Parts: sequence; structure tokens; C-alpha cells
Amino acid sequence: MTKRLKAAERRATILAVAKVLFADKGYHGVSVDEIAKRLGVSPAVLYQHFPSKEALYESVLNEISEKRESYVDTILTEPSDFKSVLLGMAQLFVNSISRDPDYLRMELMSALEDAPAAQHFFENRWRSFADYIEVGLKELAAEGRASDVNPKAASLMFQGMIRELLYVKCIQGNERYKGMALNSLLEQMVDLFLAAIGYKQAA
Amino acid sequence: MADMELDARGLNCPLPILRAKKSINDLESGQVLHIIATDPGSVKDFEAFCKQTGNELVSSGENNGEFVFDIRKA
Repeated sequence: MTKRLKAAERRATILAVAKVLFADKGYHGVSVDEIAKRLGVSPAVLYQHFPSKEALYESVLNEISEKRESYVDTILTEPSDFKSVLLGMAQLFVNSISRDPDYLRMELMSALEDAPAAQHFFENRWRSFADYIEVGLKELAAEGRASDVNPKAASLMFQGMIRELLYVKCIQGNERYKGMALNSLLEQMVDLFLAAIGYKQAA
Repeated sequence: MADMELDARGLNCPLPILRAKKSINDLESGQVLHIIATDPGSVKDFEAFCKQTGNELVSSGENNGEFVFDIRKA
């Protein structure tokens, strides 16, 4: 193995370990010593790859916020009507986040810190839903298959709904919703959303 | 020369793919769909789209922040 590959692997390992710790305790709750200890290396090794804790945190945020879902499979396997595509996208997204809730933790933290990463999270993660709903609603309204609702308000409502679902089920673990499976809750919430926008399936 | 053009500028994934799927349905086998998109994610998406559908990605390129694709229907 070349030296460069080893360095790349080491860097990836540092990012993975740092992500777990930052997601759990936040930027201020984690020290470089703690990350180094978890990795089983000295802090000096960390500083070879990242000049500061801040630089490491930014790299973790950048990597996470650049993650995008591919909805190509959803488009090719689901029927092309508004409801089927929206539900398929939401299922893929929710299941992906539920497998690694640290992604959501880091997004929520970046939102509080007003980091530029918060905008990347929107562009790479939520904009697919915002665009799909806003464009779709305009077309549906023109065909008389949705109420005359504000598309931006509707897309924001959908994003908030999905984020709250993920927060309650994957981070908070609220007892109140324990008996309801993630995907079943998601389907019911998507149905509620469709009712709210007055969605009518094509005849 | 394309047989149909799809303007997907300003649209984020999955809208360009959804539009392309619908447009290709209206084409005959061998005809070409020309797509213009601005979402950088569309490059990977259209590669995956062609791989999975068996349609041929005849060409793809970037020009001033716009991504263009020619897809021939299988």
C-alpha cells in the first residue's frame, strides 16, 4: 500500500471517529485528546492531518453535508404519479438517516451554529423535496388535482414533518411514539400532507 | 441531431430524471433525447439512469455550469 493511500485511510478513519463524537457531544463537548484517545493515537498524529479542532470539525461537517441521496432507483421502480414518487423519496431518505442518525445530529448542530454547512445540508438533502413539491404542486393545481395552496409553505411543511419524524424516532426515542413503526408513521404523515394540499389521484 | 429536447435547468434531483423518464417514453427506439440540466448531481444520476434502463448515454458534457446529455432510446 502506498504512503498516500495510507494517509487517505487514516484521514477517513479520523473523520469517522470524530463524526461520532461530535454528533454525540457537540463541538465544545469533545477535545482533540478525546478523539486521539478513541483512535488510539497521539494528538500529534491528528494534527498531521488537521491543523486544529475547528478544521477537523469543519471537515466532518463538509463531508456529511455533501452527502446526497440518489433517487434514480425510486424513479425507475415506482409509478410516476406525484404521491408514489414523493412517498418513495421520503422512504429512501428516512431509512437512510435512520441507519445513521449522526447525520441528522450534525445537521441540527450546524443549524444552531449558523455554519455555512447548514446551507449545504439544505442544498444536498432537502432541496430535492422542496423542488419536487413546489414544481409538482404548480402542475397539480393547474390540472385541478390540488388545492390552491402556497407551494413554498407546503414544501416547508413537508420538510418540517420529515425532520420531526426523524428527530422523534431516531434521536429522541420518545416513549409516546415507541409503538409506531418509523415507516408506518411516515406513510400516515405523507397521507396527512396529501390531504392538506387537497391532492387528487389522476382519474 | 436530437429528436426531442428536455430543459431541466433549475431543477434538482429527482425532477430531471423523472422528466427524462417521461420524455423517453414518448420516443421511438433509436431516437435521441437532448437534456440540459444545472444540478451537478445530474451527471451521476443520468449515468445510473442509462445503466439501469439500457438506454445509451451517447454524450455528456459541461458548458458554463450547464450539463448536457444525449440519450438514445434502446
